[in-house]
Parts: sequence; C-alpha cells; structure tokens
Amino acid sequence: MEVKLLSARFDIEDCNKIDVALKNGAYSVLDKAFGMEPGEVTAEVKNSGLRSRGGAGFPTGLKWTFLPKQDEKPVYLAVNSDESEPGTFKDRYILVRDPHMLIEGIIISCYAINSHDAYIYIRGEYTTQAKILQAAIDEAYEAGYLGEKSAGRDFRVDITIHRGAGAYICGEETALLESIEGRKGQPRSKPPFPAVEGLYGCPTIINNVQSIASVPYIVSNGADAYKAYGTEKSPGTHLFGISGLVEKPGMYELPLGLPILEVIEKVAGGVKGGKKLKAVIPGGSSTPVLTPEELKTVTMDYESMAEHKTMFGSGGMVVLDEDVDVVPLVKNLIDFYHHESCGQCTPCREGLGWMLKIIKKILNGDGTIDDVNLLRELCDNIEMKTVCVLSAACTMPVRAFLDKFRHEFEAYVQ
Amino acid sequence: MAEMVKLSVNGQEVEVEAGKNLIDAVGAVGIEIPHLCYHPALGADGNCRMCLVGIEDGRPPLVPACKTQAAEGMKVQLDAEHIKKIQHDVMELELINHPTDCPICDQAGECALQDYYQKYDGQDSRMTVPQVQKSKKLDFGCGVVHDQERCILCARCVRFTRQITKTGELGIVNRTDDARVTIFPGRPLNNRYALNVVDLCPVGAMTSKDFRFKQRVWFLSRDKGICHGCSKGCNIFIDHNKEKYKDDIIYRFRPYQNDQVNGYFICDEGRMTYKKENEDRLIVAKVNNADSIISSAIDTLKNAVSSSSNPVFLVSPNCSLEQMFAIKKLGETKGATLCGFSDGYIKQGDGDDLLIQDDKSANRAGLELLSIDTSKEAFQSAMKEADLLVNFNSDLTNSFDADTLDELLANCKFVMVATTQDALTDRAEIAIPVAAYSEYSGSVINADNILQMFNKAVVKNEPFDDIVNIVSRIGGDIEDNSAAWAGMKASVPTLKDVEPEQIPEQGLALNS
Repeated sequence: MEVKLLSARFDIEDCNKIDVALKNGAYSVLDKAFGMEPGEVTAEVKNSGLRSRGGAGFPTGLKWTFLPKQDEKPVYLAVNSDESEPGTFKDRYILVRDPHMLIEGIIISCYAINSHDAYIYIRGEYTTQAKILQAAIDEAYEAGYLGEKSAGRDFRVDITIHRGAGAYICGEETALLESIEGRKGQPRSKPPFPAVEGLYGCPTIINNVQSIASVPYIVSNGADAYKAYGTEKSPGTHLFGISGLVEKPGMYELPLGLPILEVIEKVAGGVKGGKKLKAVIPGGSSTPVLTPEELKTVTMDYESMAEHKTMFGSGGMVVLDEDVDVVPLVKNLIDFYHHESCGQCTPCREGLGWMLKIIKKILNGDGTIDDVNLLRELCDNIEMKTVCVLSAACTMPVRAFLDKFRHEFEAYVQ
Repeated sequence: MAEMVKLSVNGQEVEVEAGKNLIDAVGAVGIEIPHLCYHPALGADGNCRMCLVGIEDGRPPLVPACKTQAAEGMKVQLDAEHIKKIQHDVMELELINHPTDCPICDQAGECALQDYYQKYDGQDSRMTVPQVQKSKKLDFGCGVVHDQERCILCARCVRFTRQITKTGELGIVNRTDDARVTIFPGRPLNNRYALNVVDLCPVGAMTSKDFRFKQRVWFLSRDKGICHGCSKGCNIFIDHNKEKYKDDIIYRFRPYQNDQVNGYFICDEGRMTYKKENEDRLIVAKVNNADSIISSAIDTLKNAVSSSSNPVFLVSPNCSLEQMFAIKKLGETKGATLCGFSDGYIKQGDGDDLLIQDDKSANRAGLELLSIDTSKEAFQSAMKEADLLVNFNSDLTNSFDADTLDELLANCKFVMVATTQDALTDRAEIAIPVAAYSEYSGSVINADNILQMFNKAVVKNEPFDDIVNIVSRIGGDIEDNSAAWAGMKASVPTLKDVEPEQIPEQGLALNS
C-alpha cells in the first residue's frame, strides 16, 4: 500500500548531505521550474489539488493566488515546521532524511510567488533537526542553489531558519509570524489574512513543510501524475504517522483515500498483541476520536473524515486498544492544550484551566455527574469564541470522547 | 461632516459614522456593545471576546465588534440568543478566577466586571475547583499598585505604555491562565503619565497608592473641572466628598475626556495637584501679624489701597479671566500699577509633546488677552516706587529668592490675597484667604488659546470668597462673573462675540 513519492530518498544513507542528494536527483527539477513562467508553476500546483499538509487541508496552489497582484511590498514565504501536534511526526523525517527536497521545494515555491526570502520556522525542541537542516542550507548556498543567483538564474532566494522557543501556538500561522518578528507568539485577528498582510506587514505565504516538499514532485512529474494517487478531492500522497498500540508504529507514505482499518491492519501490523481496537484518533490529538463502528466506513482523506465529523488533520494517527482508559487520556489532552494556550483570549485562557481542574477532580474520584456535564457544556461555551482555533483543538476531541465514551466518565463519578 | 452609513442592529435601522468600529459607531447612537479590552484611545486588541456580535451577511458567524468597521447595509445581531449566550459565557469565564473581594476593592462601584455581571451573567458561581493564585499588592512604581489576581489581562495598561507613553514598562508574561501583567525586574513604571493605567484598568487590578482604601467611590461627588497644574488646561473629574462632621475634601482628580484639549488622559503631576486644594490652606486672615476676622482684614486692605499713593497689584497667572478683569478694573479705579509678572511659573524644557507644558500656570494667555504686563522689568520698576503691593495669589517665591524679596518689599506694605499659607503669607502684613479654583466658577485660556469654563465643585463648610468678591469688597466695580463678562465683552475685541453660557464643553478656540 505504501508509495514513495516524498519518501523516495528517505532510506538512502546520508541523503541529508548534498553530494548524496545530488546523485539521487535533488535539485533536478529546478531547470524545469525556472523554464516555466511563475504563473505556470502556481497553476501546476493548483491543478495537482495539493492540500495543505499542516492540518487544515486548504488547497496550496489556491492559497498562492491570494497574494495581491501588484504590490510594491516584498512577498515572504514562511515554512511552518513547528510540528508540535501530539501524535504528529512526519515533517521531521523530511528535515532529517531529505532536507534538500524541502530546500528545492522552497526555491520553486519562491519562484512561483515571486518571493526572495523564505523563513523556516522550526519548533524549539527540534535541535538535531535544526542542525541538520542548517547544514543542508549551508551546503545549498555553497553549491549555488541559494543566494543571489539561485541555481545560476537571475533570481535571489535566501532561507533563514527561525528556531521556536517551545510554544505549540507558534504553529498557528499568525502566531508564527509574531514569533519571527520577535514578539510573543500570539495569533493575530483575521482579517487581514497573511497573504495580504503577513510578515512585517507584507504579503506572506505560510505553508507546511510537507506541502512545500511536495512541490518538486508535482512540478517534475506534472499535476496529473500527482493526481493519479489519492482521491479526486484529496489527491496525492501523505506522510502518515501511525502510533499508539499497533504492532508496527511508524511513518508511512500512503496515497490518500485508503480504508483506515485496512491501513492499521496491513501497514501498521494491526493492534498490538492481538487486542481489540477501541478507538482511533485520526489526525493528531485535536481531531475527534472515531469508534470501531465508525472506522468501518472511514477512508483516509479529507472528505471521509469530515463526513464522520472528524478531521483529516496532520495524518498523525493514534490507535487505542481495548485496555486504554480514556479519562486519563482526556486529562492529558486538556493538560497539553491548557499548557499551550497563549492566554490571549478569555475563553481559552480561563476555560481550559477550568476544564483541566474538573477532569483532574473526576480522575481523582472527587467528581460528580455535574462535573461531567459541566465539562461537556464548557466545550460548547469555549469553542470558536477565540482569535484562533487552539481552544477548538482542545474542545473538539474532548467533546467527542465525552459523547462517545460517556459511560467511562460516569464510572469515575459513581 | 463625517460620512454616514445605514445599518441595522437587532433589526432596528440606525445611521452611524462610516469607518468607525462597531463599538464606537453604534455606541454613538446609544446602543452599547459590551467590551472590556477595547478603549478608543488604545484601539482594538480583540482579546476579551465580550464584543462578539453576529453579522448576517455571509461573514464568519461571529466577529469582534471592536475590529469590525461599520458598513452600509450591515445587519448586526446583538440581542440574538446565541450572542447573549456568548456574553454570558465569557462573563462566567472572566469571573471564575477573579477574586470576589469587592468589599475591599477600590474599583467596586466603578468596575466593569461588577456592571457586566449584573447585566450579562447574574448566575451563582459554578466554580467548584480551586482558583488560580497569582501575586498581589505589587508595587509597579509611580504610585501604581497591581493585583494580578484581579487582572483580566485586557492589556489596556500594556498598550498604554507602549502606544501612548512609548515607555513600554509593562508586559504580559507567561501563557494560559498563568499569564500576568508585570514589569521587568528592577524596571518599574517610569513615566509622567503612569497613573492613567489606574483609570484605564476596567477592574481593580491597577490601583493608585495615593487613593486606595481612602474612599468608597459611590460616596464621591464627581464634578467637572480644569486642572490648573500647567497651561494645558486638562479636563478633570474632581472627585470629592463631604463626610459627616468633616469638610468637603477632594480625594482624587481623574481625566475627563476632551478631544480638543487632553484626549483621555492627564499627567501624574497634574493629577496630584488636588492635594493643594486640600492642604496648607490659608484659613485665618491676619492684619499686622495678628489673626483677624476676614471682614476687618478686607476693610483694612480697602483703607490701605485708598490711602496708598503708589499701589501695585500683582495678578497670578492662575487667576480666572473674571478675576483678572476685576483686579484690572480695580487697578484702573485706584490708580494702581498692574503686573502679571510670573516667570517663576515657567519651567523651561519641562514640557513634552503629549500634555505637559513648560508653563505651570493655567491662564497666562488670559493675562496676555487682558494686556496685563508680565515683564520682570515692569514689575521691578513699579516696585521701586510702590508703597503697597497687593499680591493676588501669585507665588513670587518661585521667581525670587528670600534676599531679593526682602529687597523688593523693603519699602512697601505687603498684602497677600491667597489660597495657601506659605512664606509669603507669613511675611505679609495683611493676609486674606480666598477660594481655590475648585471652589469657584470661572474661565481660563490654555496654551493653545482655547477658552474653557469651569464651575464650582467643592463647597467648604466655611467657604471663602472668590477673588472677584474680594476685589468688589475693596472697592471694585465688578461684582460677579457676569459683570466681568459684560465688561470684557465691551473692552476685549476677542471676547466681543463670546457668550460665556455658550462656550462648548470642549472649549472655544479663540481666533488670534
């Protein structure tokens, strides 16, 4: 079931080094890309149907077209490598095993959107990854792919790595911009959207690492080749991180649209120790959990996930077996999002702390049925009342657990 | 005239100013959108989420009113059930970690949380888990004391120090419900407008060291006044109270919004000048170093003026226009030389580009308008011939040292008509106490030539006469302010068409 478009070079030893990468085809798409008009590159990416791999699933090429047409201001590209969503571990493979694919993607993307300055915002905890990526960037400068004349063309591309300081919220695209600008990472109110007013007040495109890393393949092989994988509305492949209680946890590149149970069984080797499947968190910890009954009809694409009232998310799948107690799991979830709330908006700042204390009370055996009901009500009261979606990232999965496994919470308060 | 647009709020059509945000736009026609973090002087931040409204035109289902411009045809939902629920829910969340210490909180009575609780929440607390604990009674400097537990993180204070004073002493550290407003270690508030954060704070998190625990605000009378601390003429609230068996005392000045003069703020020095109105007041008249009743002191002064061959009247640049005119008329009748010398009030280079002026007097422009000579030479040469100096409340000690004063006053009788007991009243042969500016009505002209009226705010148990009355009692023609205005209109061209009753609240910019 696995395919290797993005991960083609992942298993080649030392492919983070430019000489090895070059031998294996890195930077070979630049000739073709620079031979095209920037608009043609954008059109190719748009036609490929590539959707943002950060979690929201917004079409990447379409995003690029939102840039103001004639603007005096410079355009910035910000590559979101703040991969912090629990359960998600895909971008780090690109950073470590094939950083030159990302750099090549950045050069092509910059050319398409007429940007000369790209920032890679990398999460603070990715120290090794940042080092490897920086070394690769240095090599790319030395080899002439980056700098005043990218790959010998009259087109400047500079890449700057910006290390985060460990805040999950800086993965939110406008908090990411605030952080690059040197301020506390707090999401901005939208509008204005970054494509119009982003980094330093200039038009800015923010894309996930995997989105940008997909660009060389698309430009090289054409939109149709990319669309040959996946479904009509969710084309292409995705790096899925499968973790939790499975026999073979790991990162797998798969076309979108596969039946989720089949993937768990055939790719991840099934539930660990032959236990019964209890539930799956499909795309990072913020996506609502799915029960075995629901999973029967779920395929791994944006549409099927939406139909099942959850989200495709980041492709970070967590498999839970029959022994998992969801109450402490929910406590961990709330603990994380509470800890990571930027503290800007009242509902998220105050509400998540309240939810955490309530779930702890329930977990300690001091809770009542009123606490369970209050926890459920707070999900509704907090969600979507805030500048960004962090509050919803907490309330959506908590609501799903409460609704689908309510008896387990009730057991704690009886 | 601003461009107007028609929009509907709760189905009711209203005409509002285009381009303004919804809070200001519909607020101007009397429809309140609740908000905590938005302040017109600081702009929109959008963090409190109290102003979320629905717009029925395909936008996102909810928008913060503070960040949404009023536009033609917009259909704003404010009383829809889902909006009311948001207001209710946000209030509950604002309050879960807020200490219910209203009985000892200075803000009680003028607290946005109290008001909004009554209006939008009103339910019993559902908080059955421990509240977040933070630091209390933090001395932020400049007389500002902060309580992090009461704070709702609206960031008005932070934005004030960043946007208005541009000093940036305050910031919010930490995330989530551990977020708190603080100063940098060892770098307290250090600007001349810091106490405005107390007014800006919608709750009791920022309190004034000077005011805290002195009064419950609902006992205070709030009267409008004009600060006399410098020539800006900032509009103020004079918050005063006459407690049982006590005198009417001023407890604080607060800024009163006047877009033409001071905007929303006042400086800290001006704010603290309220103390001058209460303290060190000249209470007892004296004649020849003996206490006297005021009326006989006035009679003595009247005789002294009549028998003087060369009287000099010195007018304070803090006198009202009416007082200056009354003194001027008396001077003309009695053949006195009129001086407005007051260089000592000017602190060269002390002013800034925000509000504070070099000139620490309220009505120097009034002296100029009434052609009262303010030069040092004129005063000194008049004093050479003088046998009587009647000083109407001008602080000469800030212009002359003691020796020079001795020399100046060596050969003449010295009379003080004054509000404050000080070195000058101590050395005067006759001293007559008068009302301070919070105790009389009058008008002043500020550094920008804006004429402003103010009314009597404080009524003392034993009120003193205003200088206008004193002047009349020692033989002046001007009996009261309206007589002064009639005279000024007749003799001062700039004031010819000014009707004192019709001076707008924002003040009248005089054309000159």
